[in-house]
Amino acid sequence: MASVLASTHPEDTAYGHVGDATVPLRFSSLSDEYGVLRERAAVLDLSGHRLIEITGSGAVDFAQRLLARDVEYLTSDRCMMSLVLDESGQIVDQVLAFGRDDGILLESSCGAGTRLLEHLLARKEEDVEITDRSGDLTILGLEGPYAWGVVGRLIDGELASLPFESVVDTTWDGVDIVFARTGLTGEYGYQMIVPIESAAGLWSQSLKHAQPAGLEALELAMLEVRQPIPRHEATPGASVIEIGANWLVDITKDEFVGRDAVVEAFESGGGRRTVGFTGCTGVPVPGTRVQAGGQDIGEVVYAVHSVGLGATLGLARVDGELAAAGLDLAVGGLPVTTLTSPYIVPKSWSIPII
Amino acid sequence: MALRPVVVTGLGIICAAGRDPAEFWRRLTTGQGGLTPIEDEAFAVFTARHAGQVPDEWIDEQLPGSDTGHDRTARLALVAARQAIEQAGLTDGGPDPERFGIILGKCQATPDAAGRYQPMHRTGDVVAGRLGLRGPRILVSTACAAGGNAVGLAKDKILTGEADAVLAGGVDPLLFGTYAGFAGLQALSTGPCRPYSHSDGLNLGEGAAFLLLEPLDLALARGATPLAEVAGYGLSADAYHATAPDPTGRGGAGAMRRALADAGLTPGDVHYVSGHGTGTPANDAMEAKVMRVVFGDRAGQVPTSSIKSFLGHTLGAAGAVEAVASVLALRHGTAPPTIGFDDDAVTDAVTNTGLDFVPNRARTLPIDTVVSNNYAFGGNNVSLVLTRPRGPREHEELPRRDAVITGLGPVTGVGAGIAEVTEAVAEGRQEPGRPPSLEGRTYAPRSLWRHMNHLSRMAIAASRLAWEDAGLKLPRKALDDVGLVFATGAGSAESTSGFDESIALNPNKPAVLSFSNVVLNATGGAVCQTLGLRGPTTTICNGGASASIALDCALEMIRAGKAEVVMVVAADETAAPQSAAEAFVPYGAGSAGPVPGSAAVAFVVESAEHCAERGGRPYARVAGTAHASGEGAGPVRRSLALIGAGTPGLVIGAGTGLPEDGDEAAAVLGAAPGTLLTSSAALTGDCQAATGAMNIALGALAVRERIAPALTGLTTPLAGELASYVTKPDLSGPVGRALVLTAASGSVRGAVLLEAV
Repeated sequence: MASVLASTHPEDTAYGHVGDATVPLRFSSLSDEYGVLRERAAVLDLSGHRLIEITGSGAVDFAQRLLARDVEYLTSDRCMMSLVLDESGQIVDQVLAFGRDDGILLESSCGAGTRLLEHLLARKEEDVEITDRSGDLTILGLEGPYAWGVVGRLIDGELASLPFESVVDTTWDGVDIVFARTGLTGEYGYQMIVPIESAAGLWSQSLKHAQPAGLEALELAMLEVRQPIPRHEATPGASVIEIGANWLVDITKDEFVGRDAVVEAFESGGGRRTVGFTGCTGVPVPGTRVQAGGQDIGEVVYAVHSVGLGATLGLARVDGELAAAGLDLAVGGLPVTTLTSPYIVPKSWSIPII
Repeated sequence: MALRPVVVTGLGIICAAGRDPAEFWRRLTTGQGGLTPIEDEAFAVFTARHAGQVPDEWIDEQLPGSDTGHDRTARLALVAARQAIEQAGLTDGGPDPERFGIILGKCQATPDAAGRYQPMHRTGDVVAGRLGLRGPRILVSTACAAGGNAVGLAKDKILTGEADAVLAGGVDPLLFGTYAGFAGLQALSTGPCRPYSHSDGLNLGEGAAFLLLEPLDLALARGATPLAEVAGYGLSADAYHATAPDPTGRGGAGAMRRALADAGLTPGDVHYVSGHGTGTPANDAMEAKVMRVVFGDRAGQVPTSSIKSFLGHTLGAAGAVEAVASVLALRHGTAPPTIGFDDDAVTDAVTNTGLDFVPNRARTLPIDTVVSNNYAFGGNNVSLVLTRPRGPREHEELPRRDAVITGLGPVTGVGAGIAEVTEAVAEGRQEPGRPPSLEGRTYAPRSLWRHMNHLSRMAIAASRLAWEDAGLKLPRKALDDVGLVFATGAGSAESTSGFDESIALNPNKPAVLSFSNVVLNATGGAVCQTLGLRGPTTTICNGGASASIALDCALEMIRAGKAEVVMVVAADETAAPQSAAEAFVPYGAGSAGPVPGSAAVAFVVESAEHCAERGGRPYARVAGTAHASGEGAGPVRRSLALIGAGTPGLVIGAGTGLPEDGDEAAAVLGAAPGTLLTSSAALTGDCQAATGAMNIALGALAVRERIAPALTGLTTPLAGELASYVTKPDLSGPVGRALVLTAASGSVRGAVLLEAV
C-alpha cells in the first residue's frame, strides 16, 4: 500500500516497505528530521497506519473482547492505545482505539493493517461490521515541543491543550476531520484523521508551519522514550511481559482474546525482560548475544544510533533479574551499560502550552 | 420579550478584606490586602502560613446577643445576611416570610459549636430561623463555585414565582483539615498569593457574603434602590478531572457563554471580568485560556482581576464575595486590582497573552456589565452576569414546559437497576440497611473505577442504569448540553473519615485522594466525567429533601431552555451499616427507629418534547413540585398543597421509622382521604438523599407499572387505618397520580406530583 501522499512528497523522498505499506523513511536526513522533531515541530505522514472501523450493535462488546485494554466506555471524545493479542497471547498489533458515536475506530501500527484486519475478520460476529476505511481516510501527525503552536496556526489554538488521548470532531478548511491529542515520542503530539482527497492540502498547509519527518526519525524518537514499536519488539514467542508492554493490557478485564496466556505469564513470573542499553560502537543486529560476567543472558531485540544520545541505543531481552538499569553487560563482546527509560528527556516536558 | 428582571438591593460581607461592604470596597480600591500569617500554633506544622482571617471582634461587634451562641460558620453568615437585609431596607419586615428564601453556598462540612460535624444545611437553617425566612431554602455545595451558583439559583426561584425575595450567598470558615488538604496538594503559596503573575499557589480565607435578590418590579414598588441586575448565569461541567481544571478552558468558556446567552448579551458587551484567580498555576493558565477563547482578539481589552489577592480563597463563599465586589464595581465604575502583581514574574502560561489583569491599582472605567467567574473541584464552573440596573420594563413569565421522567436507576440493597428493584417490590422483599452490591459489572472505565470511592461508584452505576433505562443514545455534541444535578446529604463517609484519620495521624501527610473526594460535589463531578456530560451541573445538600430540590433544579433548567435532558442522581452512605431491627417499619407504632442505609438512585428528567421526538417511553409526567421550610407541623401541611389539585391514588411518603412519621401520615390522610400511603424506607432503610430519590423513582414506577412497595410489617399504624396503607405490592387499579414526599427533618419538606402520561 503506497502512501496516499506519494505524489505530494518530493521525488527524492526515501521510501521503505514496512509490512503491507510503503512509507517515507526520510525526506532529507535522519539527523535533520530528528532535530526538527525534538526541537521544533515535525509533520508526519502516517498513511502506513490502517484505519479499521468496527460498527454494529455488537461493536463495543466485540472490541472489548478483541482489545487487551478496557474500551467498554470509550466515549467519542477519547482514544487509547491497546494491544491486540491472539489466543496464545502473541501480539497481533498495537492499536490506537478511537471511541465513536457508532462504534470504535482502530488505527493499526505502521504496516500492520492487513494482519490486524484479518485477525478481526476471522473473529467477526453477526452483529458486528468491520470496515477498512483506508480507502477514504488517512492520518497525518504533528509531533514536537512546539507542535501545539502548529495546531493553533493550522486549526484552532483551543485544541492544542486538549488533555492526552482526547478527541474532537472538528473541521479544517471546511472539511470534517477527527483531531486527537496523542503523542508517540514524549513530545507534544497530535493526529488528524482526514479524508484522502483533503490530505494533500492539509499536508501542504502543515508544511508552512512545520517540517516533515519520516519513519526513521519517528521510530528513533519513540525508542528514546521506550514507546513500544511492535514490528521491532514483538518477536515470535515473546510474551507481553517479556516485551515490557504490560501497560497495554488490562488483566482486570474478565475476558479478552489472549488473556489466559497473559495471566499465565504474569503468574509464572519467569522469562526474560526487556531493558535499554547504550555504549558499544556500531549498531548490533537483532539476535546479537548479550553476556554478563561471561554468561549468556539474552539477546539484542534491536538497536539504532541515537542522534539524541550521540551513541548506540538498543533494547536487549535478558534474564529477568538482570533487566535493571546501571549494569555493565557485553553485547557481541563489546561493553554496554543498561539504562532506565526515558533514555533522553523530551524538551516538551519543560515547555508549557501557551 | 425578556424574563422578569431580578435585581440586587442589598449586600453583606465579612472577610479578611473588610467587615462590611463599605470597608471592603475601600480596601479593594486602595490596595489594602488582608492576608496575614496564621498565629494559631496548630498551623505551625505547615510551611505555608498565610491566610485571609476574620478577627473575632469583627463578628461579635455586629451580632445581637441572641446570635452569639452559634458556631463560627453560622455567625459569619448571620453578620453578612443581616447587613444585606439592612441595606435592602427589610429590617422591619418585608415579603411574606413564606416567600422569602435563602440559598446558601458552602463547600465544607462545618463543625457545630461543640466541634462536631453537623448537617450541611444546618447553617442555612440557623440563618433562616434567626431571620424568620420560610421560603425556598437550598444548600448548594459546588465547592469553590457554590457562592456564585447560589446567586443563580436564587434568580431561578424568583423567575419561577416561588419567592419574592431571596438571600443568596456563601460562607466558609478557615478549617484546619481543609488547610492540611490544600497543603498536601502542594497548592498553598508560602506568602501572600499573587494570582496571574507568580501563580505559585493560593491562600485560604474565610468569610461570608450575601446578596439580597428581588424582582425589579417589587423592589421599585416598595421604594428600594436596585444596585445591579442579575442578568444571567451559566453552569457547566468539565467532565475532566476531580481537582484539576480542564486545561483547554472549554468548561469555563462554556459557563461564560451560557451566562451571556442567559443574559441576552454577547462577549462584546462585557466591560470587566471578576476572575476566579486563585493563584495556582493550573487555574491561572486555564483562566487565561478561557479569556482568549471567549473574547478572542478582544481579550486584552477586557480587564480581569482577582480579589483573592486581598482575602484569599474563601471556598464556598468566594463566588458570593466576588459577586458583591462585582456589584460594587458596577456601582462605582471601578475595577478592583489584582494586588501583589509582579510584571517581571508573569508565568510562562500567561506570558504573551496580552491580558489586562488590572495590576496593583484600581482603575476607573465605564462598567455596565460584569462577568464573575468561579471554578471548582469536581469540574464545576459558574459564571454570573451582573449589569447596571435599568428601569422597569415589560417582561414575560418563565415558559411552562412539560417534563417527564424517562429512566430510573436505583442502586440499593434490594437490587441494582429498575428490573431488579421491580422484582423485589413485587416479591415484597425488603433489605433495610443492606448496602448495594456492584459485583458482576463495571459501570465506568476500569482506569477510573479503581480509584473511585464507594459513593461515586454507586452514583455512577445508578446514573448509567438510568441512562440505559431511558434508552438515550445521544451523539457527543448533545452530551455537551445534558445537565446533571447531584443530591447528597453528607457526601462520602468513606473519604471524609479516611481524610480525617490521615490528618489526625499526621497533618503533613493527608490522604490527598480522599481530600479531593471530601467536597460534596465530587461524586457529581465523577458522574459527569464518566458519562461525558458537560451541561449545567450543580449539587444540592438538603438532607433527605435534596432529591426533590434537585428535581426542581432540573425542571428549571428545562423550563429555561438550558437543557433538554437532565440526570438527577442522589447518593448517601452510612459509615456504620446495620441490619434492621425487627420492629422497624415506617408509619408503625412502636417502630424501633430508622435503619441507616446506603444507596444511590438516579432518574432521567427530559422535556416531554425531547422524549416524544426520540420516541422515548416516559414513566410519568412531573405535574408539580412544592417545598416548605421551617420546623414543626407547618411545613408538612404546606408541602401537601399540591393535593389541592385532586387526591392522588398513591402517596409515597418520607416516613423512615421516626415518631414524626405519624404527623406526616395524619396530615396526608387528612388532606387526601382515600389515598394509599407507603414509603421506600421499608425497602432500603433511611438513605437520606437517596431515599428521597427512591421515593420519586418508585412514584414514577407506580404510575406506569401499577406497583408500589408494601409496608409488609405494618400492623398498627401511627395514624389512620391499616387499609390506608399499601400492604401488598400490586395496586388494584391504575395510579393516575402519585404524590411523593421528601423530608429533611426540621429544615425542608418537599412534594412531587407525578401523573400518568
